[in-house]
Amino acid sequence: MSEINLTTAVSDESFSRRVIRDTIRRRGAQFGLCWVVIVAVSGIFAPFLANSHPYWMVVAGEVSSPLIAHLEWADVALLVTFGAAVVVWLLRDCLSGFRAIGIISVVGVIASGISLLTVSPPEAVVFDQYRVGLANGDIESAVFAPVAFSPTDRSRDAPVPLSAPGALHWMGTDADGADVMSRMIHASRIALAIGLVATGIAFVIGVLYGGVMGFFAGWVEILMMRFLEIFESIPQLFLVITVVAFFGRNIYLIMVVIGVTSWPGYARFLRAEFLKLRKQDFVQAAEACGLPLWSILFRHMLPNGVAPLLVAASFGIASAILTEAVLSFLGLGLVDEPSWAAMLNQAVGPGGTFAVWLATYPGLAIFLTVFAYNLIGEALRDAIDPHLEQRPNP
Amino acid sequence: MVNYIIRRILLMLPTLLGITLLVFAIMAIAPGGVGASLLSSSGDLRPEERAAMEAYLNQRYGLDQPLPMQYLRWLNQVSPIGFAKDENGVEQGFGLKVPNLGMSFAKNRPVTQLVAEALPITLLLNFLSVPFIFVLSIVMGVYTARFRGQALDVGIGTANLALWSVPVIWAGVLLIGFLASDEYLNWFPTSGLESLQADRWTFLPSASGDGWQRGYLLDAMWHMVLPVICLTYTGFAFLTKLTRSSVLENLQADYARTARAKGASESTVLWHHVFRNSLLPLFTVAASILPGLLVGSVIVESIFSIDGMGRLVVQAAKLRDREVVLSITLITSLLTLVSYLLVDICYAAADPRVSYE
Repeated sequence: MSEINLTTAVSDESFSRRVIRDTIRRRGAQFGLCWVVIVAVSGIFAPFLANSHPYWMVVAGEVSSPLIAHLEWADVALLVTFGAAVVVWLLRDCLSGFRAIGIISVVGVIASGISLLTVSPPEAVVFDQYRVGLANGDIESAVFAPVAFSPTDRSRDAPVPLSAPGALHWMGTDADGADVMSRMIHASRIALAIGLVATGIAFVIGVLYGGVMGFFAGWVEILMMRFLEIFESIPQLFLVITVVAFFGRNIYLIMVVIGVTSWPGYARFLRAEFLKLRKQDFVQAAEACGLPLWSILFRHMLPNGVAPLLVAASFGIASAILTEAVLSFLGLGLVDEPSWAAMLNQAVGPGGTFAVWLATYPGLAIFLTVFAYNLIGEALRDAIDPHLEQRPNP
Repeated sequence: MVNYIIRRILLMLPTLLGITLLVFAIMAIAPGGVGASLLSSSGDLRPEERAAMEAYLNQRYGLDQPLPMQYLRWLNQVSPIGFAKDENGVEQGFGLKVPNLGMSFAKNRPVTQLVAEALPITLLLNFLSVPFIFVLSIVMGVYTARFRGQALDVGIGTANLALWSVPVIWAGVLLIGFLASDEYLNWFPTSGLESLQADRWTFLPSASGDGWQRGYLLDAMWHMVLPVICLTYTGFAFLTKLTRSSVLENLQADYARTARAKGASESTVLWHHVFRNSLLPLFTVAASILPGLLVGSVIVESIFSIDGMGRLVVQAAKLRDREVVLSITLITSLLTLVSYLLVDICYAAADPRVSYE
C-alpha cells in the first residue's frame, strides 16, 4: 500500500508545495485539471467562441465589430480577472498562495463593479440581421466566431427546433431552435461560477465557525454544535427548492443558498483539527506571545489544519454543480440563460420522442465536470494524507 | 442506554424546532409571502372580491396574524401536546391531542392525506434499493480488498468513482431514452408506478379467457426497475470503498494473523474471521445514505413521474403551499434524525466495545 521512505533527508519544500506537486503527479488529477481548464477557458472566452455577432463586418465600406459592442459586463469582468490571474501566474515565485488568490479576487470584484457601471451593450438584439444582411448583400463581408450562434439565438429567420447535429449546428438544436453547442459553451460559465462561489461561501463560513468552535471548548462549542446539527439535518435540496420557488430564479441567490447550506461539513472538519492543534506547543507559544485571537486562529492554526478542508472543498464543488443541475432540471433554474441540465431536460419529449444529442452532450458535460472535481479531490486526499483514505468515517 | 436514548430524543426537539423555524422564516419573508400566489391563482378579481378572498384566507390560515404567532399556531397544530380544538372550533384546553398537519393551500386537502399517499411510495423505492446497494457494495468491497492493487481492485475503484459522478438526471434521461422510448428499445414504461389497466388485474399473473395478463405485482415491479436502478448505482462508490478499507484493516489485525498461524486457509480467514468484523463501519454509514436517498428520490420521482414525497415537495414549493412544505420538511428531518439514532443504537448492540454511558 505505502512504501516507507527510510531516507531522512530534510526537505526545505513547503507542505503546500509538496501537496501540489504530489497531486499533479497523479493521473486522475491531471485528467480532472485538464477538463476543468477546458471548461474554464470556454467559460471565459464564451462570447468569442460562440456568438451570432461577427468579430467584424464591413457595411458600406465601414468596418465595425458588433461582437465587441455587444459584450456584457460579466464578459468584460471575466476577461479582466483572467488577465489578472495570468499576471499572478507569471509572478508566482514572489507571491504566496493566499496573497495570489486575494489579488485575483480583489481584481475580480473591482472589475465587476466598474464594468457593471460602464459597460452597456445595446438592449434590443436582432440576431438574424447578420445572416439576412449577408444574404441580401447589405453586409459586404463578415468574420464569425467558430460557432456562429449566440446561446439565445433561436434562428427566427429559419426556425429549426430539435434538429439533429449537422453541418450548420454541430451539436444540433434544442426545443426552441437554439444552437446546442453555443449553449453548452456559455453554460460552462454557470457551472464554473456555481461551483466556485457556492463552495467559497461555504468554505469561509465553515472556517470561521469551525475555527471558533474548535478553539473555545465548553458551552460555546456545545451551543454552536447544536446550531450546526440543525443545518446538517436540513435536506439541502428541499431548502434550495423552497428558497428558489419563493424568492425567484436568480443565479446569485442559488449560489448563496447552496453555499449557506453546505458549510457544516467544513466546520466539523476544522473543529476536529483545531481541537487537536490547540494543545500543541506552537499555539501555546503564540498565545504566550500575546498575539490577538484572529492571528492565532487564522495565521497560526488555520494553515496547519486547512488540508482536509481543501479535499472537502473539491468534492463540495462537484456537489454544488450537481445541485444546480438538479434545480435546472426540475425547471427551477435560470430563465432563458443556457444551462446544461435544462437542455438535458428537453431530451425526452412528451410523446416518447428522444433527442439523443440533447441527452449525450450536456449530460456528458455535467458528468465530466463532476467527475473531474471528484478525481482532483481523491488525488488531493491521497497526497495530503495517505492514512486519511483508511479512516472509516471521516 | 435508556438514558442515552431519552437524551438523544430530547435533543431532537430543538433541532426540529430550528429546522421548521428556518423554513417557516424563509417562506414568511419571501416577497408577497404565502398569500400572494393563492390570490393570483384565483385569477383577476374585482377589488371587493379580492378583499373577500383575502379575508377568507386570513380567517382560514391566520395569515393576518404576526409571523411569530403564525409559527406558534402551526407548532401547536402539529405537536401532540397543546391546545386542542374540536370540530366546531371550541377550545378543549391544554393536553394530549392528535397532531394535525393542516390543510394544503393549493390542493385543499388535509396534508396528512397527501403524505399518507406519497410516503409509502418513496419508502418502497428506497427500501428496494438499499439491499441492492449493500449486498453489491459489500461483495465488491471484500473482493477489492482481497485483490488489492490488482487489476480488479483498480478497475472496480475507478468504475465506482465514475458511476458516483454520473448525475442521476443524466442516467435517468439515458435510461428512459434508450430503454423506454419509442425510438429505441421500448422495454420499460416511461412513467408512473402502474399501468392504466392495473386496477382491473389480479395481484398475481394469470391467464384467463381474454389472454394472459401480468398481474398487479409484476406490473409494479416492471415499472420500478428503472427508478430503482437510478436510486441504486450512486451508492456503490462510498460503501465499496468503506468495506474495502475496513476489510484491509482487519486482514492485518492480530487475530487474522493468529488464524493464519494456526493454519486456516486464506478464504477461511477472510470469510469466517475478518468478514463479520469488517461490517461494523457499514452500520454508521447506513444512516448517512438515507438522507441522500430521500434527496435522490426527489430527482428520480420527477424523472419518472412517480407521485412520491419528492414530487410532492417540488410541486408544493412551486405552488407556495406552506403547510405541505413545512410538513414534509418536518417529516424528512424527523426520519433522518431517527435513522441516525437507530444506527447509533444498532452500533452499540452489535459491538460490545461501544458504550454511550
